[in-house]
Amino acid sequence: MAVADVIRLLCTNPVYRNRVVHVEISEPEPPRFGTLAVPLDDTLESYLDQHRIRLYSHQCEAINRIRTGKNVILTTSTASGKTLAFNIPVFEKLKSDPEARALYLYPTKALSNDQLFTLVQMAQFTGISARPAIYDGDTPQSKRAAIRENSRVIISNPHELHQVLSWHAKWRPFFSNLRLIVIDEAHRYRGVFGSHIALLLRRLVRLCHFYGSSPQFILSTATLANPLEFAGKLTGQPFELVDDDGSPHGRKHFILYNPFYDGIGERSTYQETKDLLVSCVKDNLQVLCFTGSRKMAELVTLWAREDARRISARLAESISAYRAGYLPEERRLIERQLKEGTMKGVVSTNALELGIDIGSLDAVIIAGYPGTMMSTRQQAGRAGRKGGESLAILVAMANPLDQYFMNHPHHFFSCSHEHAIIDTGNPYIVSGHLLCAAAELPLHDDRDQEYFGESFYEILPELESSDLLRKTSRGWVYSGRGRAADAVRLDGIPGSTFRILCHGRLLETMDRAQAYREAHKGAIMLHQGEMYVVNEMDLETHTVRVTETDVDYYTQPLKKVDLTIIETSETRMINGVRCFFGDVEVTEQYTGYKIKRKDTIIGVELLVLPPLTFRTKAFWFIPAPDTEQRIEHLQLDLAGGLHGAEHAIIGLMPLHVMCDRWDIGGLSSPAFGENCEPMVFVYDGYEGGIGLAEKAYELLPALFSSAHELVRDCRCDEGCPSCIYSPKCGNDNQPLDKEAAVLILRDLCTFTEKSECPVLSGESGQAFL
Amino acid sequence: MSATHAPARIGALWQQRMETMREYEVVRDGNVFGSSFSNNVVFSSDYEKAHNQLDALVEKYRNVPFDTVFSGTEVFNERGVCYCLKCRQSIKIPLFDLDRFRSDIMGDLTLVHGIGPGKEAWLRAKGYRTLQDLMQHPKFRSYTHDVLTCLYDGNSAEIMNLIGCRHAKSHPYVLGTAGLHEPENYVFLDIETLGLFSRPVILFGVGMIEDGYLAVHQYLLRDIDEEQAALMATIDHMSGDRPALVTFNGKSFDLPYLSDRLAYYGMGPPTKIPHFDVLHFSRRRWKNFFPSLRLAALETEILGIHRKDDIPGQMVPEFYETYLRTENCGPLVPIIEHNKQDVVSLALLFFHLLGESYGCR
Repeated sequence: MAVADVIRLLCTNPVYRNRVVHVEISEPEPPRFGTLAVPLDDTLESYLDQHRIRLYSHQCEAINRIRTGKNVILTTSTASGKTLAFNIPVFEKLKSDPEARALYLYPTKALSNDQLFTLVQMAQFTGISARPAIYDGDTPQSKRAAIRENSRVIISNPHELHQVLSWHAKWRPFFSNLRLIVIDEAHRYRGVFGSHIALLLRRLVRLCHFYGSSPQFILSTATLANPLEFAGKLTGQPFELVDDDGSPHGRKHFILYNPFYDGIGERSTYQETKDLLVSCVKDNLQVLCFTGSRKMAELVTLWAREDARRISARLAESISAYRAGYLPEERRLIERQLKEGTMKGVVSTNALELGIDIGSLDAVIIAGYPGTMMSTRQQAGRAGRKGGESLAILVAMANPLDQYFMNHPHHFFSCSHEHAIIDTGNPYIVSGHLLCAAAELPLHDDRDQEYFGESFYEILPELESSDLLRKTSRGWVYSGRGRAADAVRLDGIPGSTFRILCHGRLLETMDRAQAYREAHKGAIMLHQGEMYVVNEMDLETHTVRVTETDVDYYTQPLKKVDLTIIETSETRMINGVRCFFGDVEVTEQYTGYKIKRKDTIIGVELLVLPPLTFRTKAFWFIPAPDTEQRIEHLQLDLAGGLHGAEHAIIGLMPLHVMCDRWDIGGLSSPAFGENCEPMVFVYDGYEGGIGLAEKAYELLPALFSSAHELVRDCRCDEGCPSCIYSPKCGNDNQPLDKEAAVLILRDLCTFTEKSECPVLSGESGQAFL
Repeated sequence: MSATHAPARIGALWQQRMETMREYEVVRDGNVFGSSFSNNVVFSSDYEKAHNQLDALVEKYRNVPFDTVFSGTEVFNERGVCYCLKCRQSIKIPLFDLDRFRSDIMGDLTLVHGIGPGKEAWLRAKGYRTLQDLMQHPKFRSYTHDVLTCLYDGNSAEIMNLIGCRHAKSHPYVLGTAGLHEPENYVFLDIETLGLFSRPVILFGVGMIEDGYLAVHQYLLRDIDEEQAALMATIDHMSGDRPALVTFNGKSFDLPYLSDRLAYYGMGPPTKIPHFDVLHFSRRRWKNFFPSLRLAALETEILGIHRKDDIPGQMVPEFYETYLRTENCGPLVPIIEHNKQDVVSLALLFFHLLGESYGCR
């Protein structure tokens, strides 16, 4: 068997052997089938027969529960037949209730189209009049009215829904009969975007209630640590979970592969990826390789082809890149060649983990941890879909998260620790949706608070005093000049946005913080894997002008962070260490940037930018006095230790709380506030906070111990990018002291008797430079 | 656990965001291409002028009480109270030549299903000159019967619908059905709003013929709270005896906007009544004569009216917002004047078109 040959090669070849740090084998699982409490009617039964489908246990469980009217969230694996599990009860509902309507929300156009195709087929076969249709930005004006009137299943996306709600009077027949809302790929709605979607769904439900309906929700997501909490926050309603996967799979080998096993790493992650790719292809395996960027996908392909050409031109021809920019014909060709077996290796970006129709493959190589366990599982799930033996390899990069997994494989293969976060309490996000809701129907003090949470009563008068709402006898009425839905962007916190222009063409938009960080004058900026240099940043017109470039250096901004504690809302003791959660005010000032080639600084430039001040949520802690004393006694650097501990904790935040490195910020100080105590802060990088620090505060013991393990088990002597160096540190990783960091982190995880100290509040401190 | 004091910054933040949102574009003077392309452009000189005017008004009306500027009355209904300004002016109403309209319609064989212009000519050659003649035709008899039933027994809306189905909706015959109403049935409507949809209507201008005069009732919102009462008062005009609505672009704007606002307050949609959108008839009549077919342009070209101190309609929201914010009623003055002139010009233009088609010669 080819897969076994490659595994043998990896485990015996002296070059590969050392780098293979772990092989996890999961044994094959036969399918488990289930039974329905009430059998399907004949049309649906014969639909399944026709497609030779027998329902798995989880599909039956989902259908049984949905039939009882409960909200259901499905979290079984990729390709386990989730779509069918909700399409069946939707069609049953359409048949039993001739007025019933259903809404499907999809995050992308490609997924909407796939689903439309499935629904049309199902409607044709069963003769149930679903009249499914897509209603989105591309739907012609002339067809819209007919879809609203006649389609019983409408497929749309959150952005369209956001625009459509103010026209609810036209949607009356649909909303008043809306029975089911299906949200597929719901895990995508997390973080800032997810929090917006949660409030958008509150607005939708409010309108449904107004028109007399209370739709039931069906969610499907990838594996999460907190599916029920997540579903509850996203929709505001209680849920039942279906997660016991009955679909079959073959024997799977998952290899953790560490090019930096020796703490050095002679060759880059991508070079190693290329070697593995060529080895697989040589052994006649069909392999899909995921890289972080488009550019790397192209490079890995190029290198792999060069290597393969030494063996044969035909082998070189059997390796190709596959990315979003390709024409549909090019893609179809690659897909067909894969199916025919002439194509052996395909290199793709992470973005294509979905919506690529290439069926099952023998092996998957993932170059660098894609950021979440969820994506990793989805990518690895591409191997061995049809139940044969398969192989997945994660090639590590030299960063804390990747290296943590390499050194602690059990964490990688145990159940998910990732919490998907939604914060429906951020007043900046809530206020935007209150404006939209007030433009949809007058807001009632007594009726509508339940949809929008605690800040409802606090925010409304503020919006009134800014002339955006007026209080009337019927409730709060929107009276702003702009259209509310146009003012609210679903992917950001309100504030100024910067437009990034290349030769007058809009590349992307960024909020102010991101623009200061990544698009200041002189910055080398990446956009979809392409390199640009910033020529000009106009603070008046919020415009950034860039041009394409190709240089071998990069830039790194330097910033100064000031932080003031506004209010401490919670305190807890963890192993004798005082930990806090509350509101802080952060001021970030970008002072300059470094120009670096590899690790060498080749220049430093000053920047003059106004400071960014925002209030947000943070957790912070004060290491115990004896930790401090021990560090002094050992003549270690307290400041360097705190800074290192801060980096390690931030580096491992994504392990517990799904977020991007930029979503959080940190500050450490050996003498913070009036009492001059050593402190480490970790805060949400968004005005108002988005629930990350809040969730992490709940999970502090787990977060602390993983950070401790990371630094303790790293083979370096003085700290490296795999443990306490942060590539994005605004202080250029100065000062750092690994030994002190380990001491601080160890004491966070080890219980010792320590004395209670008074709780402090309202203090201010200054970060290091 | 919301951040303390955060809301204080929220209002300011959204206000800034709204300031940057404008639903019209300011274009260079004389950019006829730009102006004919979209309705939502304002010439830069008009924009400047309006802003200066706004400043001047705020200055002039500082501390001037509302009641000394406007002499309206309060209107009460089940939805609350609103403020109504009334005025009337003389208007020349052309005498409608009903006989000519009738004979035009009776001679229009294409009203019958299955008869196009070619067939009509052929039938005429055969001696079928009127619909009554067609009653003798073996094939078209039954269809003709339906048409004649509608013409004899139907109301103006049904007749309008019949003609509109067989001809363009802007056909003079469609306009002619207006003559089936008494002038007192016409309701001329023009609204001023805070924006393009899903925001309040701040002024409802309604024109009616009373004793040979054009009476204009303007329902003004002194505060947004009065919108429901004003809506109610406005739709009351549309529920009288055989009313017929006359608007300029009302099919795409004023009427859907009213329905939208009624739905917003949980009130039912306005009753369906015959609706004559003068923009459609104007477009057909003057399409290739004038570069712009906006009401303000047509009133100058056709009616010879030159407005003084008028503000561009797109800028009404800015003026009204200033009033709301400062409680200085100066900015309301040009809004009310603008709306009144719109209603008057609408009525004049409507009668002009009707007179051209079916006035007694």
